[in-house]
Amino acid sequence: MNTETVYEPNIVALCCMHCAYAAADLAGSSRFGYPPSLKIVAMPCTGRTDMGHLLKTFEDGADGILVAG
Amino acid sequence: MIVAEQKPVATLKEMLRGKRKILAVGCGTCVAVCFAGGKREVGILAAALRMATELDGARVEIDEAIVQRQCEYEYIDPLKDKLNQYDAVLSLGCGVGVQTLADRFQTTRILPALNTKFMGGPTEQGVWEERCQGCGNCLLDVTGGICPITRCSKQLMNGPCGGTDTGGRCEVDKEIPCAWYMIWERMEKLGLQDELMEVRPPKDWSTSRDGGVRKIVRMDLRKPDPKDFQE
Repeated sequence: MNTETVYEPNIVALCCMHCAYAAADLAGSSRFGYPPSLKIVAMPCTGRTDMGHLLKTFEDGADGILVAG
Repeated sequence: MIVAEQKPVATLKEMLRGKRKILAVGCGTCVAVCFAGGKREVGILAAALRMATELDGARVEIDEAIVQRQCEYEYIDPLKDKLNQYDAVLSLGCGVGVQTLADRFQTTRILPALNTKFMGGPTEQGVWEERCQGCGNCLLDVTGGICPITRCSKQLMNGPCGGTDTGGRCEVDKEIPCAWYMIWERMEKLGLQDELMEVRPPKDWSTSRDGGVRKIVRMDLRKPDPKDFQE
């Protein structure tokens, strides 16, 4: 039995509602899969991303943040 | 506005050593608009300190609060009821805010998260400069609206001195524009250069920090003392 555990980082993707979030939507409707450790958050605009959002996301357990917009 | 900047996280971590639960209190006035102690900065600093102390194995629980003006009792009084659950208050106000909190809540430890720097304003995005030293006897009427007490490195009453270069820069630091050079240029624009030919006497500093803590008492605004109406 293989007891080796694979590190799977928790990634939060902050996606612009007008582009990257729509791309994620399209990926979903095209039946592309992505790991459950990736959480997608729609932003009204990624320009809204603030240092506070990043710090609190890390504080709440994210290992990495993808800002896509 | 009063301009301040945050102390380094390492300094604050040291200040919070041994504390388990604290309240970070921001101020919604001067330090909010210079991005040092408003609601946003309270959230960022609290998150940074929670994570930094957790990494050290002694996580400090930090709650967040904001008051519109930390320098007035009326605004900070609503904090009173919840203070008994905290080991200390970390104030993101200016020095006045910290002292007002400490004065009002004398059995609570009040800690400063900011270094208060000066009275000034933003000159471009992300840049603040000192404009007033609160000398108590404003002379901007005779200097074209440019304060030599604050902006001349030597606080000269007559200038410029010999340390100004031809480009109007100060000998103390070439990054500092010579205040008196600017005053002459401004007075020229106003057509008032002749006024600068008058030699100004040394400044009377008695209105400044000369006599200790300064105070203004406005009798027209004070609450009447009932004793004044007794016969």
